[in-house]
Order: sequence, then C-alpha cells, then structure tokens
Amino acid sequence: MDNKKLNRREFINKGVRIGIGVGIGVIGYELLSRTLSSKTVWQIDPAKCIQCGKCATSCVLEQSAVKCLHVYQMCGYCDLCSGYLRPETKELTTGAENQLCPTSAIERKYIDDPYFEYHINEELCIGCGKCVKGCGAFGNGSLQLQVQHELCVNCNQCAIARECPSEAFSRVPASSPYLLKGFGGK
Amino acid sequence: MFKKFDLKNFGTDQLWNRIALVSGIFALLVCVLLIGNYIQVKKADPINMKVINSLVERLHKDPSDVKLREEIRTLDLLSRKAYFTSKWQIRTGGYFVLAAIALMVISLQIISYRKTIVPQLSPENDDNTMAYRNKTRVFIVTGGSLILATALIFAILATNELKEKFAVQEINEETPIENNSDLITQAADSLVLEIIDTTGTSNITIKHTVASAFTNNDSVNEKSAASSKDNFPTFRGPGGNGIAKQKNIPISWDGSTGDNIRWKTAIPLPGYNSPIIWGNKIFVTGANTAKREVYCINRNTGAMIWTVVVENIPNSPGQAPKVIAETGHAAPTAATDGIGVYAIFSNGDIIGLDMDGKKLWAENLGVPGNHYGHSSSLMIFKDLVIVQYDQKTSPKLMALSTKTGKTVWSTNRDVKISWASPVIVNTGKRTEIILAAEPFVASYNPADGKELWKIDCISGEVGPSVAYANGMVFSVNDYSKLAAIKIGADQPTVLWENTDYLSDIPSPVATDKYLILSTSYGLTVCYDAVTGEKYWEKEFGNNVYASPIIAEGKVYLMDKTGIMHIFKADKEYVSLGEPKLGEPSVCTPAFTNGFIYLRGDKNLYSIGK
Amino acid sequence: MKKSTQVALILLITSLIAFNLFGVQRFPRPEFENGYQQPETILNAPRALFFEYFDLAVLIGSLSLITWLILKKRSRKAVFWVMIFSLLYFGFYRKGCICPVGSLQNVTLALFNPEYSLPINGIAFFIIPLVFTLFFGRTFCAGVCPLGAIQDVFALRPVSLKSWVQSLLGLIPFIYLGLAVLFAATASDFIVCRYDPFVGFFRHNASFMMFAIGGILLFISVFIARPYCRFLCPYGVLLNLVSRFSKKHLTIAPSACISCRLCENSCPFGAIDKPTGAKFKQPSNVLVKKLILYCLIIPFLMAVCGWTASKYYESFAKVNFKVKLATEIMQSKNSESEVIPLEITAFRSSGNSEEVLFEEAKVILNRFYLGNWFLGGFIGLVFGLTLARLTIIPYKTDYTTNKGTCFSCARCVDYCPVKE
Repeated sequence: MDNKKLNRREFINKGVRIGIGVGIGVIGYELLSRTLSSKTVWQIDPAKCIQCGKCATSCVLEQSAVKCLHVYQMCGYCDLCSGYLRPETKELTTGAENQLCPTSAIERKYIDDPYFEYHINEELCIGCGKCVKGCGAFGNGSLQLQVQHELCVNCNQCAIARECPSEAFSRVPASSPYLLKGFGGK
Repeated sequence: MFKKFDLKNFGTDQLWNRIALVSGIFALLVCVLLIGNYIQVKKADPINMKVINSLVERLHKDPSDVKLREEIRTLDLLSRKAYFTSKWQIRTGGYFVLAAIALMVISLQIISYRKTIVPQLSPENDDNTMAYRNKTRVFIVTGGSLILATALIFAILATNELKEKFAVQEINEETPIENNSDLITQAADSLVLEIIDTTGTSNITIKHTVASAFTNNDSVNEKSAASSKDNFPTFRGPGGNGIAKQKNIPISWDGSTGDNIRWKTAIPLPGYNSPIIWGNKIFVTGANTAKREVYCINRNTGAMIWTVVVENIPNSPGQAPKVIAETGHAAPTAATDGIGVYAIFSNGDIIGLDMDGKKLWAENLGVPGNHYGHSSSLMIFKDLVIVQYDQKTSPKLMALSTKTGKTVWSTNRDVKISWASPVIVNTGKRTEIILAAEPFVASYNPADGKELWKIDCISGEVGPSVAYANGMVFSVNDYSKLAAIKIGADQPTVLWENTDYLSDIPSPVATDKYLILSTSYGLTVCYDAVTGEKYWEKEFGNNVYASPIIAEGKVYLMDKTGIMHIFKADKEYVSLGEPKLGEPSVCTPAFTNGFIYLRGDKNLYSIGK
Repeated sequence: MKKSTQVALILLITSLIAFNLFGVQRFPRPEFENGYQQPETILNAPRALFFEYFDLAVLIGSLSLITWLILKKRSRKAVFWVMIFSLLYFGFYRKGCICPVGSLQNVTLALFNPEYSLPINGIAFFIIPLVFTLFFGRTFCAGVCPLGAIQDVFALRPVSLKSWVQSLLGLIPFIYLGLAVLFAATASDFIVCRYDPFVGFFRHNASFMMFAIGGILLFISVFIARPYCRFLCPYGVLLNLVSRFSKKHLTIAPSACISCRLCENSCPFGAIDKPTGAKFKQPSNVLVKKLILYCLIIPFLMAVCGWTASKYYESFAKVNFKVKLATEIMQSKNSESEVIPLEITAFRSSGNSEEVLFEEAKVILNRFYLGNWFLGGFIGLVFGLTLARLTIIPYKTDYTTNKGTCFSCARCVDYCPVKE
C-alpha cells in the first residue's frame, strides 16, 4: 500500500514537473521569438537632456560614468566660449575665477587668432553638465553628455536613469552605443 | 593540492582568532573614518561651493580687484584638491575595509574549516511537529489579520481621485480656448464703468444683466482665461492694441555678454515679423524670394520644435512680388489661437497649421498690389482669422475660418494701400475691428464684417496701426495728423488733433491717461490722452521701426540698433533702463510672465531668469 | 585639401540641418590656415559581446560543475570553493549585473511590454537556473548565486530558528515577488535592483543606505545564515516552488537513512524535515475538517486582500515616472509656488503634449488598479495555502531535506554516518 502511495506521489510529481518544464519552455519561446537585442547599453539622448546635474551625483560609481564629450566637428572654436567661461566673465583668460567647470576639466588651447580648441580631461570630468548647458544655450552645442562605456558597469537598472527628470536615458544597442548629435557629418 | 598544503597545521586556532579580531577592529575603525569623510564631503560639496560663487559674483562687479581674484583662485584650488583627495581617501579606505573583512572571514573560515564535525543530539526527542504547526498557524492568522485590518482601515480612508483629476485636466485642455476671453473679462469691467458713465444710476438692472451675462461666459472660460494669461497670440499682444498683461518683465540685459539672456536661437530666413506665443511655443516666420517658412520654437529652451516650408499652395505665383528691403517677404506677424497658427507672406500665401506644424489649410489670396510689400499682420477673433488686405485693386477686409481657411465674410473698402494692422477691441458695447487707411479710420463688426462707423482723418501711405483706450481711438500718419477720436456715440468725433510729431512706421500706444507716440526718426512724445496736452518729448537718437508695448505701466520701445528704451508710461519721462541686445532689431517684443522675447536681424532671444 | 574640407563643411552643414531640432550652428567652424589637425572625439566601445557569451558559458559551466559535485561527489568542501569562485567572478569581477534575481524583472517587463527589447543574456540568466532546479534542486543557490555566496561566507555562528518563525518570515519573499512583478510589469521600477543590498559591495560603491542595509544583513548572516535568500529573495520563491518537483535532489544519506538523528542540527537553514512517525499515518477527522475549512476560506481571503490592495493603487502608481510627472504638473497648476520641479521643466521643453501625458498616465493607473487586485489576490492565496498546507502532514519515516527550502549546500552530508 505504501508503495502504491509512493508511486502515486511520484506520478503527480512527474506530471507537475513536466507542466513546469512546458511552462518555462513556453515563456522562453515567447521571449526568444521576440525581436531580441544581443546586448544593450545605457545612453543619454542629448536632445532630451536638460543638464540638471544629477548624472554627477546619481551614478553608482564614485566618479560618474557620464562624461562630457566634445564633438569637434560642431565646435566654433570660439574665444568667448560659453561652455568654458562663467557667464558675465569680463576677461577671457583661463583663471579659476572665469572657468565654468568646477573641476577644471576643460583644457583650452590656442590654435589661431581668435580661435581656441577645447579638450575635456575625462579623468577630471564629473559629468555635471555645466559646460554642456553653457554651450547649448549660446554656442553650437558641441559639448554633450554621454555615458562613457569604458567606465559604465551597465547596471540592470541604471541609477541615473531612475533619477533623470527628462527621461533622457534609454538602452541602446551595443553596436551603436553613442547618441551624439551632429556627429554623422564626417 | 590541498593535501600538500595542509590547512590543518597552518597556524593555531588562537593565532587565527587573533588575526580575525585585529582585522575586524581595523575594518570597523576604517569604516568609521570613511563615514566621517563621507559626511564631510556631503556637507561641504567642494565642487559647488557657494563661497566661490558669491566671490565670483563680487568680482564681476569689480573686475579690477586683483586680491579678490587671487583669493578665488586659491580657494578654488583648495576645494578641488579637497574633492579629489576625499575621493581618493574613500576609494583607498574602501579597499582597506574590504581587505580587512576578507582577512577576518578567511581566518574564521579556516578555523571552522578544520573543526571536526561533532554532531550533537538535541536533548528532547519529543515530536513537537504538531505543536509547531499550531503555533505557526496561530501566528500567521493573528499576524496576517492584524496587517490586513490595518491595511483595510487605511484602504477605506484612502481616496483615489487621480484618475478623475487627470480626466478633468484633459477636458480642460480640450475645451476650445477663446483667445479673447481676457478681453471679455476686461470688457465686463469697462462695461460697468461705461454704463454708469453714460446713463447714471437709473439703469442698475441693465448693468446687472449684462454683467452677469459676461460673468457666465467667464466661469466657462475661467480655466482658459488663466492659461491665456501666459500667451501673446498676435502682433502687439491680444487684440493688437500694444498692451501686455504679463508681469515681472525684465528691464536689464546685455546681448554681448549674455547677461540675463536665457537663450538665443538663429532664425534661418529673414523676416521683420514679431514673435507670438502660445503655451510653450513661440512662432515666427521667415521668407526670401524663393522660400517661405514658419518656425516653432520652444519657449523654455529656444530649441526649434518644427519648421514648416510653405509650398505647393494652389494659385501661388511662381515668382515672389518685388518688395523693398525694409519690408521683406515676411513682414506680417502670424497669429495663433492655441489650436492653430496662421501666417501670411508677401505673395499672398496664407497658411493655417496646427500646433504641431501639421498643415490645416493653405491658399493664396491673390498677390497683393503693394509697392513696398504687404505688411498687415493677422488678427484672431473667435474662430476667424482677420486679414486686412488694403491693396491696390479691390482693397478689402476678410475673415477666414481658422478651421478651413474658407472666407466667412469679406468687406470691400474704398481706401488706398495701407501697411497698418487691424486692432480688435471691446468698447464696452461691442467688439470692433478698427482699421486705418487713407482716407478714413473705420470700424467693423467682427462677426459679419459690417461697417460700424468711419471718420475721415487720415491720409498718405498709412503705416501705424491705431491705438485704443477708454473709448478713444488714436490714429496717426506722417504728412497727415495725429487724431484722437472719441467713439461710443453714433458718430465718432475728433476730440483733439496735433501735427507736431508724426509717425510713419511705429504704432502709438495708449492708456486711459496717456498716449505714447514714437516716430521712426527716434523721437518719443507723451500726450494727455483726453486733452491732448503734451507732457514730455524725448529724443533717442536712433531710428525706431518697432512699436512700443506697455507692460506693467512700463513702455518697451526697441530702436533699430537694438537698444531697448524702457520708461514709465507717466507724466514725467523716467528712464528705467536702456539695455542693449547687441543686434539690430525692427521687431516688436513679445512677453510671457517674467520673460521678454526679442527678434533681432538674425536671432530670436529670450530674456529673463 | 581645401576642397575636401569644403565638401566636409557642406556635408556637416546639411547634417546639421537634419539635426536642427537639437541645435543650430550659431558659430560656423573656422577654417584654419596653419595646418591645424582637428582631434577625433574618442568613443570607447562597451564591453565586447563575446564576453557576454563568456559569462553565459561560465554560468552554465559552474552550474553543471556544482550540480555534479553536490549530487555525485557529495562534497561540501568542493561546493565551498565553487561558491568562492562565483563570488569572485559574478560578484566582484562582473559587479553583480545581470543576475537571475534581477532578470526576473526584465522578463516580466518583456512579457507585459512587447516593445521592450530584452537582451539574450537576460532570458538565459532567468531560465537556466530554473531548468537546473527543475532537474537537480536549488544547486544554483548552493554556490553560483553571488548574493547567496557573500552571505554564506559570513555564516560563521549560525543558530537554528524555530520552525514557526521560519514559516512566518518565509512569507515575505512572496510579497516581495508580487511587488517586484507589479512594478516591473507596469514599467515603473525594478525594486529588486533598487534595494539589492549586496551589489554595492561588489562595485565597491553605493549609496550610504545601500551599504548600511547590506552591512546589517551581512552582520545578521553571521548568526542567521543567508537571511536574504531565505526571507527576502523573490527569485528564491520561484526556485523553491520548482525545486519541490525536481527530478533529483540532494539527499542527506547516500542510501537508506538509519534515523540516527545526527544530522538534526546540521542545517543552518532549517531545511531538514524530521520523520513524522506513525501517529500521523492516518489524517484525523479534525485535520480534514480544518483543511476543508481553509480551502473554503481561500477565495474569500483573496477577495478581501485584493480589494484592500486595490485601494492603494494610486500610492503605488506614483512610483511610475509618468504618473508622478502628471501629478506634479497638475499640482503645479493649482499652486502658486515659483519653484518648478526639474521634471516639469524638462517635460515642457520636450514639447510633448500634456493631453497625451495625462492619457498615458490614466492607462498606467488602470494597469495599477488591475495589478493591485492581482497582487492582493496573490498575497491572499499565499496566506491561505500556507494555512491549508499546515494541516497536511505527510507520512515520513526518514530524515530528508525539504526540497523547497534546501539550498543543496551539502553541509548535512558531512554529518551523516552512512557513507555508501
């Protein structure tokens, strides 16, 4: 009798097991039959970004993986660079009192009168977006905030995306991981 | 492999215990230090120090203060050093803690690893399965019902009304917004005054009924009136009368340094029309001989939201008419009612677009016979676009449906070509469209286009539109005269006139007490609106093409070089500021609360913080 | 040279016109006469795709290895070393993402939102441990999950909890799972990732709260082994349910149990079932009556819990970005406050219509309303079934592992005197 009972239990177990197996299979098939991305990474859409400064503070890394990238093609090489200089600056020098960047991560280099090249030192850049805001408001918008993928750990849910007020973060295919604007015209 | 390196004999338990203890205490200490460091950094925020920002502000006021500059530089360097040092400290400290804890765990694991397993039997062998199960059940039932009861109480108290609220929000947005609801409100007030003025106290009942009729209308449009406060839907504001209702308009800025400039955006094609605003969208137009475009710009960021190329319009001429450079192909300002935006160009093309730039309708009204170029701006009355088409052959006033572009009514006018724009005002009794062109100033019923009155008092190539305030219409033209016309009775009468200063481009603007008249050669004069007594005159030195606008009792007058003359609309001339845009401008400003929008030769500016 | 720059410039300008939604070239790029070379914008590529497949291979490899070690070799020490490897690889090297616990939400999101594109690794990390569990029990928990591993190494002085405490606390993961599914299905938030207590240690970085919660849990796990796995982990719920029907499972004794009671206190997780003895061989009438009673109560319980939870749908929905934004916009219209939240500023500058936003927010609210009914019903069902199950006492003569809660860590194996 015990044997019978055990057999019955074994039979039920087997039935349920097959049921679960089929269930997992159905879910797997359902998901696999969708358009899948082989890999996705987080990126900022500069058109949506409002440079609120949360990228600098919300990232799980101690120094944010979001950096300011410079699209040189778009740059006007202005002497009076609204991304480099604080507003109302009278003297166009590299003095600390004139620099907009809180960590002095933008390097200004003389090219040709009256043009200057601006280079971002990524080790110093904290992704606060102050320069991006300045450049976008009065300049060409050649400075843009982007997730620097060498640094990003690609969290399942990006902590900055959660805090972003303009929903500018989204997952993009790893094959085209940057969303810089004005970069197509090579 | 493990046999060769036998953990069992590697150090004594006591040694490992001590290692664990020491590393544990070490980790704890570093942890405390790290927390301290963290709090310090959070508190001071060295990369965004208020002290530095305020010092920099002080330096901007006094750029020659070398000592202050040095101070800022030192402080900046220090704070940056502090920031990166603390980052380094936190990182290094973190590794220390990790290493110490790992060491502690390893030593404790080694101890337990080589501990021989000594199974211990529990002393009792009672089968207490049943007891435990009963206990579990009791706890689940009591705990569960406690939680459920609390949740239930709060659930009963909870109010869920977001969905309804959202639905209400949507309905509010869907209600057709009457852009003259402000006028109606205003009218209700002035009407009351008017009736008291003209009929004395015996007619209180009438006052009541009429006023309540307006109040009813008001309550329906309460929401939309509140939202249209932000708007600047036509040339020279609602109704085109040069009065802006907006508040907190800035009076200082500087285009060359960017001071107080929120954004500036280049407008691709030239045009001397002024910006108009609805909600978060600004509309301007631009055109050259080949191309005509309508632009929609984000009011907050200056980003171009859309651009519509006006093309493929039936009956549109292949070639743009000849115009002079000072008029251009896009002189008339567009108009919007929050549902659509309507624009007209030098070749007679008129287009209606919805707020997203989708074409609603478009047609050609016939190339206007106009030797300088068509420049009358569009106006809106309810669901009609009002077009003043005072051209060489068959001058007329037209009203097109905002929805379809079909002509609802058209009234022929026996006048010469004019460049003025219509003004729509509520005189208390009714709403009127007032136009000026040689030889008369005339008024029309906006509902059907019937002429209400006219008075011969103007001649020449009329450029300025009229001004209206408190039952008085003011018309002016160069080589003609300035006339103050009292309306309200069956036949309007000229109360006073003057020929000292005459304008051929800027329109006058009036309040109940004062009339402000600017001339294109840069002289501004202020009269008593009722008596015509001159209070003051002021020579600005530069030419003026833009029309003055009054906002919060301040007159905003832009001269051709881009200097905005701001002064009080008052008995005395009191200048409130002469900020420079840094770019020539001939366009009349537009306003929203706290902001002013200026169109220069190339760029559109938003000013304010 | 000159011509080519001109062409480049024209191309650039045309491309800018295409992008004029974003910005306008206010200052044209100067043409340099002194041979200036414009630097390239450096765009570092993300981690290569190959490594993602490598992760997958490591997952399958370590799962197979540990399963073999548990079921065939029956070696606790070997399991321990695999666990250390997983902790180092999936934890400290891969920094914890993506893990099966989190992938649960990705899968839910993908099932409810067809437009969400789920990476292949997301599916694989969700399904592979489930399949292994279906055949061999929770070997994934034993030593592949980095979250389990980090707690396990801290399990130094475990005390055994009373079984009723365990059952009671064991209900929490069900609620957590329900919430995680609700928030993931409505595309609102990944709460399991947000409140992951250990990922901060793996990344050497986290918010202060995350470190604090993680630290407290690790401290607790010295005395109460694997508190997160037992009393919080939502993926553990799925593994628990699947494992009950697993084909094979770790057994305490390799052959017949001799009921020596030596293993009684060996399990730090309280996952060993004692023999119930002959007195429960026949279920008593009282118990049968109770069972019937509980089964009848279940639908009622589900309805009450569902109704209660449905009343909270708005508070829950406010977690969703769109609903929060719509609420803020609505409130800002009624208030005179000058401070405009960043979200509203961003929304206004996006040029999207409020009407559409309110419409979307309403749809999400409806989803939450329905979702909360299901959540409440699910919680009610779990409570009801737990009560009902307590009345059933299976007849058992041996000491066996509880197939649901056992992590297959193989500690008990060392206590068993039966070696063949």
